[in-house]
Amino acid sequence: MEKVDCIIVGGGLAGLSAAYGLASEGLEVMVVERGDYSGAKNVTGGRLYLSPIRDIYPELWESAPFERPVTRELVTLMGDGASTTIELASDRFATAPHQSYTVLRARLDQWLADQVMEKGGMVITKNRVDEILMEGDKVIGIRAGGDDIGADVTIIAEGVLGLLSSKVGLREQPTARDHALGYKEILELPSSVIQDRWHLNEGEGAAHLFMGEVTKGMMGGGFLYTNKDSISLGIVVGMEAMRERTEKVESHTLLDAFKELPHIRPLVEGGTLVEYSAHAIPEGGIAKVPKLFGDGYLMVGDAAGLALNALLTVRGMDFAIASGFYAARAVADAKNRGDCSAAGLAQYEQSLRSSFVLKDLETAKEIPHIMENPRLFTHYPQAVSGLLEKLYTIGPHPSQKLSSTVIGGVRKDFMNARTLKELLAMRKI
Amino acid sequence: MDIVVSVKTNLDLQMIRIKNREPVLEAIPYKTGDLDKNAVEAALQLRDAVGESKVIVLTVAESNRKVRETIKEVLAMGADEAVLIVDPALESTDQAGVARTLAAALQKIGSYDLVLFGEGSSDDYSGQVGPRVAELLGVPQIGYARQITAGGAGVLVERSMDEYIETLEAPLPAVLTVVSEINEPRIPSLMNIMKAGKKPTEEWSLADLGLDPAAVASSCETLSNLAEEQDRKHIMLEGGAAEQAAGLVNALLKEGIVGR
Ligand SMILES: Cc1cc2nc3c(=O)[nH]c(=O)nc-3n(C[C@H](O)[C@H](O)[C@H](O)COP(=O)(O)OP(=O)(O)OC[C@H]3O[C@@H](n4cnc5c(N)ncnc54)[C@H](O)[C@@H]3O)c2cc1C
Ligand SMILES: Cc1cc2nc3c(=O)[nH]c(=O)nc-3n(C[C@H](O)[C@H](O)[C@H](O)COP(=O)(O)OP(=O)(O)OC[C@H]3O[C@@H](n4cnc5c(N)ncnc54)[C@H](O)[C@@H]3O)c2cc1C
Repeated sequence: MEKVDCIIVGGGLAGLSAAYGLASEGLEVMVVERGDYSGAKNVTGGRLYLSPIRDIYPELWESAPFERPVTRELVTLMGDGASTTIELASDRFATAPHQSYTVLRARLDQWLADQVMEKGGMVITKNRVDEILMEGDKVIGIRAGGDDIGADVTIIAEGVLGLLSSKVGLREQPTARDHALGYKEILELPSSVIQDRWHLNEGEGAAHLFMGEVTKGMMGGGFLYTNKDSISLGIVVGMEAMRERTEKVESHTLLDAFKELPHIRPLVEGGTLVEYSAHAIPEGGIAKVPKLFGDGYLMVGDAAGLALNALLTVRGMDFAIASGFYAARAVADAKNRGDCSAAGLAQYEQSLRSSFVLKDLETAKEIPHIMENPRLFTHYPQAVSGLLEKLYTIGPHPSQKLSSTVIGGVRKDFMNARTLKELLAMRKI
Repeated sequence: MDIVVSVKTNLDLQMIRIKNREPVLEAIPYKTGDLDKNAVEAALQLRDAVGESKVIVLTVAESNRKVRETIKEVLAMGADEAVLIVDPALESTDQAGVARTLAAALQKIGSYDLVLFGEGSSDDYSGQVGPRVAELLGVPQIGYARQITAGGAGVLVERSMDEYIETLEAPLPAVLTVVSEINEPRIPSLMNIMKAGKKPTEEWSLADLGLDPAAVASSCETLSNLAEEQDRKHIMLEGGAAEQAAGLVNALLKEGIVGR
């Protein structure tokens, strides 16, 4: 069996980040990516939090093909026929260094693959890995296109479902309960139109999340990110919630209905559909993170369940890049010491534990349970919008006292035992 | 036998969208010319049949990044060396400029017995580059090769003409262009792709070839490059199924699409 220093299964952000680190260290790396090019098969909502990873590969980000820094944050709680939008325009978000940027994966991943190749790493696209080769508990390489190729270390960066790694028992088989379905459209709009519609200064961007009716009350939400000359508009919905729902909905109809809403239609008006994509998202939280390393292998990015949906913030790309970085460091050290066994690679998990990756996942460990409560997506958006609607309504009859409207509404929708219990539970997050 | 194969990197035409009747060329992935891969395959087979031979791939482009994947692919297929002519001045060249550059590169390479081309490129498909190079070098050329064997005066070639097959021989050096039926290009293995990066690769600029940017400047100016506008016929057929079917047949007959 022919052999290389390191094989990376999957050329998404996690795999490419690891490859970049290894190639920079002068190690021989082979990234195998099944897509026509890196980015061809990768889906994200649209926003990369750069703050957590700015100091990782600091030389890279200057030239990265980001779309727009997010300076306007919006969230809409959608009730039945009434919705409430909260907007945050923060001077701090609008000042460099910006904490987050909208991105398009077709561009970002291809660019990162280029950087890997500049460093002498090999990114081989249009090739699928068929199997991870094991010898007992040890990963010894891969099978692809009928060839067996050995490696001192194999980095598994195959993304969310982990089909190859679960087949050889490196992680559990994926279940619907621990995943959400995400799908989106990219609609092209002239940059000036985007700036007008979202009240943005030249080059700045907005991120807008939606909760409630958008998923018919199922766990999940809608999102809208502004890119340079396009917007990313999509929906994330829990797979289990979809399956449990008695009145079945086809996922794509949610997005069609979303676009037709009276307050969304003018935003997407005239946009040309240029891309449609769908993908699974890990939602299991830290409880579902598999063993991160073993003899001859490491797991990074979505393949290791390193993603965090905390309702207002959705993160996975920064985790993917950071885990790739720490994986590369661990492998380079292990190679130096000539020990690629589990013991030699153990540093990987330690560095993830002392970095934001596992710390943030640990902090958020209750979120998956909280999010399983459907009332978060039905009762609350409705209650908030319903109360505000009452406050704004002037009818033909004499109005109630403002305070009694508020107190009545709050008492009815928020001051009951159930809500208090839920709010208490939310303290855990 | 030293065989040089001229290989072009094309835009992946399937990824091009039309917007306002113009192609959107930004961020389109690149792709190795289809027939160029047939030419490489033919060179490899010939090399292995003749022995004591090597295959050099030659390419011309405005940037290294554009051709990097192409070169990797053809070296992984089995070519022995690569020569890249890279110069920003090639951004606005045309078939004549590319041919001039290739001819100058071949002269600099010095020893070659065969120069293989695709019959036409996967994008512009003008079919000019091979014949132009032969003319500039003053060597014999045979187009549309469907089979190449070493022998005769140098090389024996079956040409694929539409209605018949012509067999010609030519002394070496010679320029040949190949058609797709000549072979099925091999798909490189992962390990061969890894090793391709280590094969000898030379990169020359136009100045290295003694060429002035003016020598490759395009003599044509593109005035317009618009996709054809297709208007729908807007014919609505009404009535029952039988009536609609009859209407459809009539409309197709009228257009001359069926019944000729
Ligand atoms: C709709 C949606 C919205 C999201 N929104 C955000 C957001 O706003 N911000 C954020 O930070 N994160 C977001 N995420 C999460 C984020 O996109 C992921 O966490 C991130 O893409 C993970 O990167 P990765 O490299 O681990 O996996 P991927 O990008 O999935 O890469 C895995 C790669 O492996 C390749 N591969 C798989 N199997 C094989 C095989 N057998 N052989 C060869 N190659 C293989 C695939 O082709 C793919 O390129 C979102 C995700 C979705 C789906
Ligand atoms: C307005 C305009 C702008 C252009 N801009 C660029 C540009 O920015 N960059 C650029 O590279 N080209 C550019 N071109 C294309 C280029 O100038 C030629 O058209 C092209 O290289 C050769 O023409 P063809 O594809 O019709 O070749 P054909 O004659 O159909 O090709 C036949 C064979 O010739 C060989 N061959 C052709 N081109 C090359 C090559 N470049 N290197 C090695 N072998 C080759 C291959 O074996 C190919 O199978 C432009 C053309 C136009 C009209």
